[in-house]
Amino acid sequence: MLNYLIKRILWMIPMLIGISLISFFIMHLAPGDITSNESAFNPKASEESRQKLRELYNLDKPIIVQYGLWLKRIVQLDFGSSFASHQRPVLWETKDENGNIKPGLIQKALPITLLINLLTILLIFSISILLGTIAAIKKNKIPDRIITLFVFIGFAIPGFWLALILMYSLGVVNQVLPISGLHSVGYEQMSKLGQIFDLLKHLALPVFISCLSGLAGISLYVRNGMIEILNQDFIKTARAKGLYEKKVIFVHTLKNALLPLITILGLSIPGLIGGSVIAESIFAIPGMGKLFYDAVLMRDFPVVMGILTIGSILTLIGNLIADLAYAWADPRIRRGLVK
Amino acid sequence: MHKFLALIFLSLVVGCNNSQNLDNTNYDDPIPPESGGVLTNAMIGEPNNLIAMIAGDSASSAIAGQIFNALLKYDQNLGFEGDLADSWTISDDYKKITFNLKQDIKWADDKPFTCEDVLFTWKKVTDPDTRTPYGSDYQLVSSASCANNHIFIAEYDEPYAPALETWASLHILPEHLLKNENINDTYFSLNPTGTNFYALDEWTTGQQVKLKTNPNSVHGRPLLEKKITRIIPDLSSQFMELIAGNIDLMNINPIQYSRVFPSRSELNDKINLYKEMGNGYTYFGFNLKKKPFDDLNIRKAISYAINKEEIINGVLLGLGEEITSPYKPGTYWENKSINKISFDVSKSRELLEKSGYQLNANNIYEKDGKPLAFEILTNQNKQREMTAVLIQRRLQDIGIDVSIRVIEWASFVNRFIKTGEFEAVVLGWSLSLDPDQYSIWHSSQDGPGQFNFIGYNNPRVDTLLENGRKELKNEKRKQIYDEFSKIIYDEQPIIYLYAGYGLTAIHKKIKGVKKITPPAGVFHNDYEWYIPKKFRRNEMSL
Repeated sequence: MLNYLIKRILWMIPMLIGISLISFFIMHLAPGDITSNESAFNPKASEESRQKLRELYNLDKPIIVQYGLWLKRIVQLDFGSSFASHQRPVLWETKDENGNIKPGLIQKALPITLLINLLTILLIFSISILLGTIAAIKKNKIPDRIITLFVFIGFAIPGFWLALILMYSLGVVNQVLPISGLHSVGYEQMSKLGQIFDLLKHLALPVFISCLSGLAGISLYVRNGMIEILNQDFIKTARAKGLYEKKVIFVHTLKNALLPLITILGLSIPGLIGGSVIAESIFAIPGMGKLFYDAVLMRDFPVVMGILTIGSILTLIGNLIADLAYAWADPRIRRGLVK
Repeated sequence: MHKFLALIFLSLVVGCNNSQNLDNTNYDDPIPPESGGVLTNAMIGEPNNLIAMIAGDSASSAIAGQIFNALLKYDQNLGFEGDLADSWTISDDYKKITFNLKQDIKWADDKPFTCEDVLFTWKKVTDPDTRTPYGSDYQLVSSASCANNHIFIAEYDEPYAPALETWASLHILPEHLLKNENINDTYFSLNPTGTNFYALDEWTTGQQVKLKTNPNSVHGRPLLEKKITRIIPDLSSQFMELIAGNIDLMNINPIQYSRVFPSRSELNDKINLYKEMGNGYTYFGFNLKKKPFDDLNIRKAISYAINKEEIINGVLLGLGEEITSPYKPGTYWENKSINKISFDVSKSRELLEKSGYQLNANNIYEKDGKPLAFEILTNQNKQREMTAVLIQRRLQDIGIDVSIRVIEWASFVNRFIKTGEFEAVVLGWSLSLDPDQYSIWHSSQDGPGQFNFIGYNNPRVDTLLENGRKELKNEKRKQIYDEFSKIIYDEQPIIYLYAGYGLTAIHKKIKGVKKITPPAGVFHNDYEWYIPKKFRRNEMSL
């Protein structure tokens, strides 16, 4: 077991190098760099000054040298500073000699995105399991049909469109929810509880919108898994020996139907740090999606690479956790693994 | 795409909700000025760096401009007046400018402002280690010095006419706070100290920037106590915040201005709209180094075939103007005697035939078996895309086969503009306040990454541009740039399409906004704006 774990973790190193190499090259294949975006059409800015910037950022060096420089820093866990003129650190805050703190870009954006995504996943899974179970029990009957219809409407509806309708009706016409942003004016003066309530009010719409599209996949997964297991012999046996239907459904069927969800849950770990650009723009939430998108448009390589690296590490860890959790939950796999 | 749909949808919803009156306060009563109050507005992007010479983005200069002063500034009619300087004199040979600085001025941290701060700022902006794109204007200063604490002298080897403008755009930085700092990544850029009306109160990353009045402000105390700028990237969301009363002002688009507002009287009860000439123009540019665009007849034929009025009506809903010179209509430098080339299909055909083109079987003009066909390139900008489509249609009508390609900005600049691999572009330039257009039109400026990328080359224009930079007498300068504007219009290396209006919506609770917007813009007197107590939000705790 321990050997297996060590082997898997060691395998991550060449994988990470491969991923970073490919992303680094793809990023640099795109035409342009930060200097051509910041002042490309400003007649007051001369080409010489842009060339000077390029040299300062090592952008005039061959790409393989640039990759080497980047790798050298990254193995020391130094994600560098953004190329943008604020020069903020990519990952974590830095302190200068006077004790002034420059906040890190990912450090500021990640907690917000994580919070939204955790709430979203929690909601998606709990609602989906409920809906999927009901749909499976009432297979092909009216509740099943209604649930399927509902989750597919949620899946198909354009999120930004629904977001705008809800913002208008709940924020402008009946001012019950805030329209955009994370905090109300005067947030600093609220009590701790008031602050949490204020934050939740601001997150209600974004979380609802991102939930909606996720329900379809998971609830159908649960429904189909349940139906497959309900048709198996051991369920017949359970029923034949006179078990209560509740016990048949919730203990024997649901437990088995949830096994594949572990994989899905593991695979959604990297998704936790990614945000939706559209939702973040509409709701004015300074999260990871907008950070990444803007960095790509600006060709802010250190930020793009920082986010991609953290994303790939989380993906690999997510896969590992999913596999381990699967083994832990399913004795069949555990035995195969030990052998 | 989603923004476009959102707008359509929004106009639908907004149009259908006439019964909703959100607010019954009457804002029109005259109320005398009261100081205090918080103004809330919104921006689509977060400022990068409040040292403007390094930042380069518009969000940064908007905030930094309220914290810092330059030596000079524009008055409401776009002439110069003193900012940190009291007065200035220009020597007879135009090579020396002497600034008499205001005395007894203090930085927000109570340290005195002196000439050394100006000298320090000049040294920084010309320092090769400073990551600024703006150094070249100030490198023309051959020597800068302080005669005493209050007299700053800038000397030039050659007369440089745009010099005063450059001293109106350089924010003076405090030497005592920055002399031991690396200006490129100093913390000062996130927490600056200035001399202007406001000082930074609090900056919540990604969310808002809050300013408070600076007690040492060089121009006295403004009426508004605080200014909050919220960062809301989506314009539809900003608009909803505006009509819900959560922000007090924003820039709006032509659809909101001429469709949404006229159909909703309750919005007009609480929001005023302001229209002023914007700061830029959109043009159709030819790559003059490529055939057939080196042929004046072809360029003119295309100019006659484009219906500029139709573009202004279609793209800007009429909220723009045709221009004939690269200066703001109505300002001093505009050449008002130029006759417009207006939409005329027969003239266009005549010119094409004069150049040897004939209509072929597909109704496309061709010469020597080669059809007249080209590609219009533009970047992802809704207005420019729509403009290109209208041009395409008009040229199709006349027999010119045009395709359109829309490209992401960085690729657009690097793959096409820098390499000269384009035929025609729809792009924009700013309408500058100083008439100097050297970097855009001088034939020496056509290298990769420079701004004469269309390859314009006219020795007479070169001479005019060189002389215009050296001439400081306005009347003589005006003659030079009138001739320059005339030649450019006659030769049509670019076709001026439109200069759009800047549209601003301001809540009526903000008083003191000038009814008639001065040339310098609606924000020009924002230090006189105020919010009467009874209209203020519940903001005791701020």
